[in-house]
Amino acid sequence: MSLWDRIDKLDRRWIFLLVGIAVIIPLFVNMEAEISITPEARQLFEAVDALPNDSSIVLVTFDLYAFSLAETEPMARAALHHLFSKNIRVVTVTTIPLGGPSIAERVTREVAAEYGKTYGVDFVNLGYKPNYVSVLRGMGTDIRSIYPTDNSGTVLDSLPLMNEVFNYDDLDFIFVTADNGIVDFWISIVQAQYGIPVGAGVTAVMAPKQYAYVGSGQMTGLLGGMKGAAEYELLVERADLGVKGMAIQSLIHFLIIALIAVGNIAYFISLRRKRRGQA
Amino acid sequence: MKQTLPVAVAFISGLIMVVAFFMRSDVPVIGGLSQEVLIWGSIVGGFTLLLGAASITRVNFNAVRLRRSGWGFNLITLVSVFVMALPAILGTFFPGVRWFGTGTGSLYDWMFTYISIPMQGTMFAMLAFYIASAAYRAFRARTAEATLLLLTASLVMLWRVPLGEWLLTAIHSDLPSLVNTYVMSGVNLSVQRGIIIGAALGAATMSLRILLGIERTYMGRG
Repeated sequence: MSLWDRIDKLDRRWIFLLVGIAVIIPLFVNMEAEISITPEARQLFEAVDALPNDSSIVLVTFDLYAFSLAETEPMARAALHHLFSKNIRVVTVTTIPLGGPSIAERVTREVAAEYGKTYGVDFVNLGYKPNYVSVLRGMGTDIRSIYPTDNSGTVLDSLPLMNEVFNYDDLDFIFVTADNGIVDFWISIVQAQYGIPVGAGVTAVMAPKQYAYVGSGQMTGLLGGMKGAAEYELLVERADLGVKGMAIQSLIHFLIIALIAVGNIAYFISLRRKRRGQA
Repeated sequence: MKQTLPVAVAFISGLIMVVAFFMRSDVPVIGGLSQEVLIWGSIVGGFTLLLGAASITRVNFNAVRLRRSGWGFNLITLVSVFVMALPAILGTFFPGVRWFGTGTGSLYDWMFTYISIPMQGTMFAMLAFYIASAAYRAFRARTAEATLLLLTASLVMLWRVPLGEWLLTAIHSDLPSLVNTYVMSGVNLSVQRGIIIGAALGAATMSLRILLGIERTYMGRG
């Protein structure tokens, strides 16, 4: 068996080892590179930045499962830093039953604590209610009919912030963080029917589809995957896990491209040899 | 009756929502009715979660009871469901106890943060290993279409990371912005738009079939 045949039939455990090394190296070696800002991320930042300080109220959604937190939590954190630094009040909600309310509670409270924000006055976590289509539509008329209480069971009327929020008309912006198709419903149900601006931070695998909504003007800005999170962190001047993760992602992308190239070279050389052998 | 009633419920509920879509929410009767249907929708959604929990318990309990192949995994699933659910449910009966419920500091929250999140993250991270292996073996330029896909994918992968962007800029300073303009906001956008419109038309057709009682597979029969 020739060298190229061996490369063509390389044991996948060698590939796993290479991926493992590519993940570990940036943890020990500083590999900083300049991160450029895409127009979509800048559009989202500028839309949020243009909201009036102190008086605005923004709905932040945590439509996330735990598996995607590496990508989505940095963008949610960056968004909350941006909002709280402008004294914008935040209402959080989730359409994911498996851990969604816990993620929203933990992330929001941690960021809010840095700005000395008070629960009930500056931010409220509505939590989860089943059947997201009903929830999204129902909140348009009356949030209380869908969420009589917040995530911890407190009646909404007893929370000062919620005395100003009754439906989508009382919100200035919706910042969706999502790792699944629910982001489509925030556009088709909420943005399209109630006219409230919606921006989104989604996983990299979901981002290509969302370009259609950005192009049509239905989505006000987009963050795609960890790169999007890194971009927003840089825009709000809070470099964190998104920026740190880019070095690892850079190496992994280069490795995969190199593997594709080597795999193709080995394949074509082996193919040519076989044809010559047959001739 | 078993067939007529669900069709009638689907028709009336759907009709209310369709009519309400074209009207303001404060329109008398129809506005209130549509909100009532939405509340009912959320309540029914809650019961489907309960049904899911009952189903996972029944299926796994039977597997353990009959010692089916791999019954150990069923047992782990069963134990995990109850270990996660019980402290959360007990919060309803003992609201003063910090360990119960789903709030910060509760047992449920601790298990979710320190067990569920790392495990789900690990499973998802393993995809990187399999994607690398699959890319090496399956991503071959066998045809013109495959070559085009391969080149586009490589270009986008480079564009999405700082080191790759640096490399593209070294080739031509406008190359990264050209990828965004022509690949992502150009070809990709138009294809995605076509898919979205196609899916929306399909969903509208299916909804109409359900409203008119032609589509009855949701009742468990064709």
